[in-house]
Amino acid sequence: MNTRIMPEFDLLLPETVEQAVSLLDKYQDKASIISGGTDVCVAMKSGYRTDFLISLAKISGLDYLEYDPSTGLRIGAKTTISQVLSSADVKTYYPALWQAASIFATPQLRNTATVIGNLLRASPAGDCICAVYALGGNIVLQGAEGQREVSVDEFWLAYGVTARKVDEIAIELNLPAPVKGNRSSFKRLTRTNEDLAKLNAAAHLEMDGKKCKQARLSIGCVAAIPMRLEKTEALLKGAEITDDLLEKIVTNVGNEISPIDDVRSTAEYRNQVAGVLIKRVITQACCKS
Amino acid sequence: MNNHDITLKINGEEHKVTVPANRLLLDVLREDLQMTETKYGCGTGECGACTVLVEGNKNICSCVTLAATMDGREITTAAGLEKDGELHPVQEAFIDEFAVQCGYCIPGMVLKTVSMLTENPNPTEEEIRHGLEGNMCRCTGYTKIVKAVQKASQIMAGSES
Ligand SMILES: Cc1cc2nc3c(=O)[nH]c(=O)nc-3n(C[C@H](O)[C@H](O)[C@H](O)COP(=O)(O)OP(=O)(O)OC[C@H]3O[C@@H](n4cnc5c(N)ncnc54)[C@H](O)[C@@H]3O)c2cc1C
Repeated sequence: MNTRIMPEFDLLLPETVEQAVSLLDKYQDKASIISGGTDVCVAMKSGYRTDFLISLAKISGLDYLEYDPSTGLRIGAKTTISQVLSSADVKTYYPALWQAASIFATPQLRNTATVIGNLLRASPAGDCICAVYALGGNIVLQGAEGQREVSVDEFWLAYGVTARKVDEIAIELNLPAPVKGNRSSFKRLTRTNEDLAKLNAAAHLEMDGKKCKQARLSIGCVAAIPMRLEKTEALLKGAEITDDLLEKIVTNVGNEISPIDDVRSTAEYRNQVAGVLIKRVITQACCKS
Repeated sequence: MNNHDITLKINGEEHKVTVPANRLLLDVLREDLQMTETKYGCGTGECGACTVLVEGNKNICSCVTLAATMDGREITTAAGLEKDGELHPVQEAFIDEFAVQCGYCIPGMVLKTVSMLTENPNPTEEEIRHGLEGNMCRCTGYTKIVKAVQKASQIMAGSES
């Protein structure tokens, strides 16, 4: 139940990543990180409890978004959805992520919510998660033992659970440099614009003319974690994208997922529509040169 | 629970307050400083009644913002839009177009409009409707609010040239 009442906790405001890590190391699972707070504050009003909340508010230098044609995109821990939306580089080279940002929540929320917060929340309905999963890349984690990178393919482990260790903070997301023939696209289905997804999907294709050399397809809201459609990806690999193939894909996606009923949609609807949504993201990605 | 000594610059004036860790920015404004022009609506970042502007023009929901994380920031509330006894053109336009019924959403609507027009002085109707997402009005059906935003955009364009 949402009581709208904030519970009690100690708020800690470290000024460096190192300080934040040593606080996490000290308090372990008694502490949680808060960044934009759009998930954490709402969760706390409906029963989520923690003894210590470690805020990133006073740590400077983490709100960057840097694109380099040879190394790709770097997104800092405090970079907001609005920053992604105002980046011409993201719009041009990572359209799936830009499209996810453009339908994300509301202007107010986009100004506060972070991309990394979305990835770390590990909700199967996360819109940045869906786009980033298709685009591929790494999440940089810093802990007491030092830094490590975890591929997005190994990052989401269970509902709300990631590969992050209890003393680690996520400091950056890296997306690979686009190669020639790279296209991507994202779409979401909701009841009203501001709602969370009934279904979301993203496609990342490497095209050679009409032929698809590589494909990564991700879909949300059909399992406890965001999902990659590896069997459907295999149908695309090396194939020419024809209407026949797209129809085959629609059927295949329905067989590859086993969604459930929940507050936003039914399993039946998701089963019937998921394939169509995947078809649409593939088509949308292909239409963009 | 720990306390934090913070300074907020609200509508140009500095306020020093001591807040418990779980105090939300909205509650500091309404309860500690009696600035009740910022409204409490849903409490979960959906309705926009609690909208304030940070560092000039960034619209945020104060109901999901911990006050202690805002130390040192500049905040503008709807009451801060008036200059030397003159209403802001956006406020004038909302009055002229009868865009206000019960009035509860209006402080948030007006601030969102100021923020939107600063970034995009001449928005299309579609851009206005997209920009006003996150601010809910249960009276007007939005038509008059959209007209008010269009009118404000014209007034502001006129006063600059
Ligand atoms: C009204 C409303 C609308 C929304 N609409 C959408 C939507 O359209 N699409 C969507 O996907 N989501 C939506 N959300 C959910 C939320 O806004 C996003 O998940 C957002 O990206 C979270 O980012 P944040 O910075 O606010 O995270 P926070 O709330 O600060 O944190 C979220 C989680 O990530 C962890 N975390 C954050 N940063 C780090 C870090 N650097 N290292 C380790 N852990 C970290 C926190 O501990 C927490 O578990 C909505 C929420 C609200 C309230």
